[in-house]
Amino acid sequence: MHGLDLLSWILWMPIIGVLGVLFLPKDNAKAIKTWALVNTIITFALTLVLYSKFDPTVSGMQHAFNVRIPWIPQFHIYYALGVDGISLPMILLTGLLFMLCILSSWTQIKKSLKAYFALLLLLESTVFGVFMSLDFFLFYVYWEVMLLPMFFLIGVWGGENREYAAVKFFLYTFFGSLLMLVGIVALYFATNQSPDSFNILALQGGKFTTQTLSLFGTTVSFSKLFFIFMFIGFAIKVPVFPFHTWLPHAHVQAPTAISVILAGVLLKMGTYGFLRIAFPIFPDSAKYFASAIAWLGLINVIYGALCAMAQTDVKKLIAYSSVSHMGFVMLGLSAMTIQGVNGAVLQMFNHGTSTAMMFFLIGIIYERSHHRWIVRPDGSKGFGGLYTQLPIYSIVFIIGMFASMGLPGMSGFISEALIFLGMYEKFTTITVLALFGLLIGAAYLLWMFKRMFFGEVNPEVKEYTDMTKLEITYMIPLCVAVIVFGIYPSPILNIMKASVGQLVSLLATF
Amino acid sequence: MYLNYLANIARYIPELILVALMAGLLILETTYREDEKNKKYIFIGGLIGLVVALASLVANFSGKSETIFSQSMIIDPFSTLMKIIMVLGTIGVFYLSRISKDIYESLKTEFIVMAVGILIGGMILASANNMLMIYIGVETLSILSYVMASFKKNDERSSEAGLKYALYGGLSAGIMLFGMSHIFGVLGTIQFSGMAVNLLKLNQAQMLILMPSFILFFVGIGYKIAAVPFHMWSPDVYEGSPTPVTAFFAIVPKIAGISALARIGFIFFTAATPMRASWILLLMAVASLTMTVGNVTAIGQKSVKRMLAYSSISHAGIMLCGLVVINDIGVRAITFYGITYLFMTLVAFYIVSIVQDKYGNDHFDRFTGLAYRYPFMAVVMTIVMFSLTGLPPLAGFVAKFNIINALLNSHFYTLAIILALNSVVSAYYYLKIVRLMTLKQQESNEVIEGFGFLNQFIIIVMTAPILVLGVFWENIMMLANGAKIFFQ
Repeated sequence: MHGLDLLSWILWMPIIGVLGVLFLPKDNAKAIKTWALVNTIITFALTLVLYSKFDPTVSGMQHAFNVRIPWIPQFHIYYALGVDGISLPMILLTGLLFMLCILSSWTQIKKSLKAYFALLLLLESTVFGVFMSLDFFLFYVYWEVMLLPMFFLIGVWGGENREYAAVKFFLYTFFGSLLMLVGIVALYFATNQSPDSFNILALQGGKFTTQTLSLFGTTVSFSKLFFIFMFIGFAIKVPVFPFHTWLPHAHVQAPTAISVILAGVLLKMGTYGFLRIAFPIFPDSAKYFASAIAWLGLINVIYGALCAMAQTDVKKLIAYSSVSHMGFVMLGLSAMTIQGVNGAVLQMFNHGTSTAMMFFLIGIIYERSHHRWIVRPDGSKGFGGLYTQLPIYSIVFIIGMFASMGLPGMSGFISEALIFLGMYEKFTTITVLALFGLLIGAAYLLWMFKRMFFGEVNPEVKEYTDMTKLEITYMIPLCVAVIVFGIYPSPILNIMKASVGQLVSLLATF
Repeated sequence: MYLNYLANIARYIPELILVALMAGLLILETTYREDEKNKKYIFIGGLIGLVVALASLVANFSGKSETIFSQSMIIDPFSTLMKIIMVLGTIGVFYLSRISKDIYESLKTEFIVMAVGILIGGMILASANNMLMIYIGVETLSILSYVMASFKKNDERSSEAGLKYALYGGLSAGIMLFGMSHIFGVLGTIQFSGMAVNLLKLNQAQMLILMPSFILFFVGIGYKIAAVPFHMWSPDVYEGSPTPVTAFFAIVPKIAGISALARIGFIFFTAATPMRASWILLLMAVASLTMTVGNVTAIGQKSVKRMLAYSSISHAGIMLCGLVVINDIGVRAITFYGITYLFMTLVAFYIVSIVQDKYGNDHFDRFTGLAYRYPFMAVVMTIVMFSLTGLPPLAGFVAKFNIINALLNSHFYTLAIILALNSVVSAYYYLKIVRLMTLKQQESNEVIEGFGFLNQFIIIVMTAPILVLGVFWENIMMLANGAKIFFQ
């Protein structure tokens, strides 16, 4: 079985990388970096092989790649992996971004290199685990293990207030996932501990619509209660409005590469959780709460954009713009139509590339300026006139910014257009209101650009050097991605189409 | 009658070995001069005795379940497994007492003798099948504990700990005895098997009148496992006692009390009576209080030992959750929990003890930057803290998972959610240590003598089960599954 090898290879390749890093001598920084880079390149190449072997016409899990090995047979827990059209874009994105992150960390990370690269690779493996697991227990394990490297990566290599940010991130996510754990165990018993009770695929299809349970003496619907539990677990990760407060802290404090991973991949784990778990397992409740989800998504879009506008720290601005953009994903999901969900998955991918660009670019300028103020607390400008001083940087920045803004011809446009198409009929008011989010989005990005790049040249800015070859190297793939997928999105759309169709038709039956 | 007695004694060999060991060590300790050589002999002798007892317990494990000594004791796989956990914990604590500087040199031999004594008490409690044996077990456990708590004679806190422990202990033992006498008055026997039969003959009103006596009975054992609201003594005693003693208190009496409670639950409250409902309600209230109070109070602590004391209170609460469901799944879950709790507690106390010996106190600051000086130890401590939090893929997670499993299987959703939320609270203070060790720059370059090669090796060996049981837990789970409670 060739397919069996492939998914496991992708999943465990970073772990081989971790072991390698651990055995390399501490002072040989170059060897550690090179090893980590080679490792991520191999991993990314493997994900491309997976892409080439993937059959876009098949909906659901591709049997050629499925892995199912008993892990704890007494409890029917399996080491089960699989890939379908929803997880494949995420796997590709993960492979790409981690490779670029190693490059970006090349010069930016100076202390405890060995631990840093080991943790980064460990994080990569756990992210793959989340996107590939088909066993609920395995999924949960990866979902939680991911907290460990993140906690240390933010906490050790982060900015000034890193400890607070790391702890907040950890506690928030841990809270959500424990509610999810209760849900997982409840599902295990709801299926009478059958051999399929941890099998994500077998649980799908609305098998729990009629079950009830008693809580505090009142009878509540099993499906609705645990949908809410899972929703909170995933919503914290996205983050959906009332649960978003960890995100700005984590982003601002995290080192560049980790911000990129956080915004580019980890946030998508939340929406992926909706697509893979919460929606298919509890389709009736998903339908029931659809408009609530749409309103929350709208709040995300508008509130995130308004918050972004008020920021004077450019990294915080982009962090809030992530909140806003993930709101679009939530809107697309809540529509539960073919266009809407396709748009949501595409937006997950596109936001991954465009926001990664923005965070990389902020990291690049931070290395030169050692601050990120658009406007300093004393009212003076932090930057100014970057455009005349750093031409290459400015061009790349413009590409990233327009992609993020959703300018036609750039990747963000297509996914947002699809989302609006998908939801217009169902939630007309929300669609119209959400369009204002796009407007505010354009406003805060352009305003930021104006304040940073135009105007009087700040004396400090004159000393900055333009992007180095290394920096250009890792920005090129992302520039290509945001432009190519803006003009020609079919490579990504094609692979997800069949699987999304299956999910939407499942939801349509309830 | 007498022949029966002798026939049964074969099942009681582990306890007999320990009694002989205690007597032998006592004689050695009092007759010979107290020099380094003799101390070493006592230490090695104690270890050998424990290992032999452990071997005979393991041999006993697969034997058939039966009552011995005119039904006053019960030997079943459950009690045997709990005893194995207690003996393993004692072995771990023995070595800790040897390297610790917190215990006066001159008292180290006494510690070993008394620990064996307490262990015997714990084993009686785990096997007790009538009320008298429960009482004897609790008292054997307690009286020696009072002495142990006040081991640091010159330290005010230690003396206070001993006094507090003795006062609270005396009071709760009295309350328990009062409850027992009332139960005896109503049911007419002290044998659990007879009591269970007579209990079912009572009518509803009589049962409700009898229930308060069971609550009083519960108090005595609840006190030993430091369940809230009978926990007041525990943080002071834990903080005041020498660290090896604290580690010992966190393991043996807790496991013993939990196993006694499990048996009581199984014998009296399996049948659906109004008493079962109120017993479950009592346990639910106590369990959620114990978890919550333990965790919330732990947050504010400045001393690591005191923090661990509160954390062990909350872990007792989690084990109590496993007792709420009176069935095999619950027993399996607490047995597994006991096994993981043993290793996590031992490793945590080893590291705290060694750090404390270096600096003379155990404030959180002492852990600052440990990762930069002793990366291995910091990694181990991190693993233990995350395991105590309940993060996969570590043993603590699997243990918690199984408790939640047991709860949801019997539809105790509320309690499961309380447990889950408590884990989040506990994450905060466990992370505090991790944070200090890894995220802060080092405070000094001092060498901590305690982290020699041998000690590091022993600590890592004890950590291995935490990692292994987190991933490959099926075999131990099946072992725990086999450890069923036997009752007639």
